[in-house]
Amino acid sequence: MKKKIFPVLGLLLGLSLLLGGCATGLTPGAWPTVASNGELAFIAGGAHVYAVDLQTHAEIWRFPEKASTAAPFYAAPAITPDGQVIVGGFNHTLYSLDPQTGAETRTFTGARDKWIGGMLVTDTRIYAGNADYNLYALDLNLNLQWSFQADQSIWGTPVTDGTNVYFGTLGRKLYAVNATSGEQAWAQSLDGAVLGAPLLGPDGTLYVGTYGSLLYAIDPRDGSILWSEAVSSWIWGGPALAGDRLVVGDGNGDLLSFPLGGGPASWTQPLNGMVIGSPVVLGDAILVGTDDNTLYFLNGDGGDIRPFAVSGKIHSTPVISGDRILVPLTEGEALLAVLDANGNQLWSYQPEK
Amino acid sequence: MWETLLVNPFMNFLLLIYKLVGGNFGVAIILFTIIIRVVTHPLMASQIKSSARMQEMQNSKEWQDIQKKYKDDREKLAQEQMRIYREKGISPFASCLPSFIQLPILFAVYQSIVRALAASPSQLLILSGAVYPFFKLADIVPINSKFLWMNLGQPERIYVAGLGIPLLAILAAVTTYVQSKTTVPAATNPNDQSAMMSKMMALYMPLLMAWITYSLASGLAVYIIVGNLLGIAQYAMLGKVNWKSLLPGYKPAVTTTGKKS
Repeated sequence: MKKKIFPVLGLLLGLSLLLGGCATGLTPGAWPTVASNGELAFIAGGAHVYAVDLQTHAEIWRFPEKASTAAPFYAAPAITPDGQVIVGGFNHTLYSLDPQTGAETRTFTGARDKWIGGMLVTDTRIYAGNADYNLYALDLNLNLQWSFQADQSIWGTPVTDGTNVYFGTLGRKLYAVNATSGEQAWAQSLDGAVLGAPLLGPDGTLYVGTYGSLLYAIDPRDGSILWSEAVSSWIWGGPALAGDRLVVGDGNGDLLSFPLGGGPASWTQPLNGMVIGSPVVLGDAILVGTDDNTLYFLNGDGGDIRPFAVSGKIHSTPVISGDRILVPLTEGEALLAVLDANGNQLWSYQPEK
Repeated sequence: MWETLLVNPFMNFLLLIYKLVGGNFGVAIILFTIIIRVVTHPLMASQIKSSARMQEMQNSKEWQDIQKKYKDDREKLAQEQMRIYREKGISPFASCLPSFIQLPILFAVYQSIVRALAASPSQLLILSGAVYPFFKLADIVPINSKFLWMNLGQPERIYVAGLGIPLLAILAAVTTYVQSKTTVPAATNPNDQSAMMSKMMALYMPLLMAWITYSLASGLAVYIIVGNLLGIAQYAMLGKVNWKSLLPGYKPAVTTTGKKS
């Protein structure tokens, strides 16, 4: 009789493993991000944060040394004025790492959910939004100064004009919070979730794109909407400033340029693949990555398009480090592609397992 | 194929209900479970009939005779049993079938719940591509994952004096056990293969469900518990629930090999 039990047990065990595998496949994730101190590139690449020497292309360290699926790292690393590398994990912990060795020097464990968005670092403070709906203000030793509870998760990087810190939430709101006290200055409801960072214009106007396919200009004094313009799909990353114009990409793969004062798009350039990260301006060129494994170079009027293929999807914003362009890649043959200012790939980095 | 046929339709249907009920994902899961149960009711009714036929067959003289005749020759006994199953057009696994049919649906429901809640950028990106064109996703993102004391996208615990009690996992195990005990026909011959299979399922399915609901998103636990309660109600409506089987010391009318007690 006992022998007959085994097929049933085996079947249930198999089903358990199948569901276990199914659950693992659904582990919430994001995409790699990168920061640089000019000497090293710090890549938040899932199971580890990697430090790669930009001269020798060698991996200097990885944190943690042993991979942990419980604490994947996707939030863009930040570098403090005193050189610390700050990284946030999905395990709710914010780490300060030694840039030369990767040794953990401090942690902040006061958050209750994932660190998804990037951090804003000033001379004395770190401002970071968490999926637990809070914006945390920390000193450079990761001591909590204040926290502000918003209406929903914060996925984007905050910005500051020195007086207020501005950030958007998934709850379709843009907040202004006093940078010193953490008190709310104003909150403005928008038509869709804010997934990326707001942009501070030259005159202090805030520009923010939403998942509801609108680009807004907001008065920083009271949060009133100065103008809004529709695009054809969601805006994930925030807009960028290119001279006296805004450039922003959308989920349909369009790159659009708008005058700072509002009005219809000056030009629209259709690209292949979704634009998820923000565009970046390098000299006279606008750089934008898409999920069809291409980094596009355009000139200021949207012309002279030059596509450069890379070996993975570009979901996050490329980073300029000196004369190099650092492009984190998703689902590719490499985790990071490094290009020169003309778009030629110099080298790539793929961590050894 | 899996995604197109099951996960995406489930996810879109869940989101549609979510939108119709005013943004309560817990209520959406409960309504979704009810609808799934209603849609699959004919299948279940057919299976209940099949189980009843099997029960009848196992009490037949022919079945009892072969038990007696081949009691020392298990291989021959199995062959004869299979012959009778074939002749009567009955599957020996019929009584376990509801549990097995539920499992692929469970996988798909779990994936659709997690995907619909989109608690991370990659999940929202996948959701953006998987949602049907008639949805304006921006109107319902972010999905409200809070229901009663739960975050439906996370495993559930109730903390008492610092101790995390998995209430939904306990309820899932209990309701699965009650469903198995009260709805699977009592075996009259404990040596029969299908009876053993049913007994094993009644024992291990609650454990499996407890493990699943302990470790995965609590939205799935809501689906499992509501589904179990509805399953018991369905059997009750068809007059097939045996509440006595829950009583301690309850023994069905057992037939020893070849003889009725």
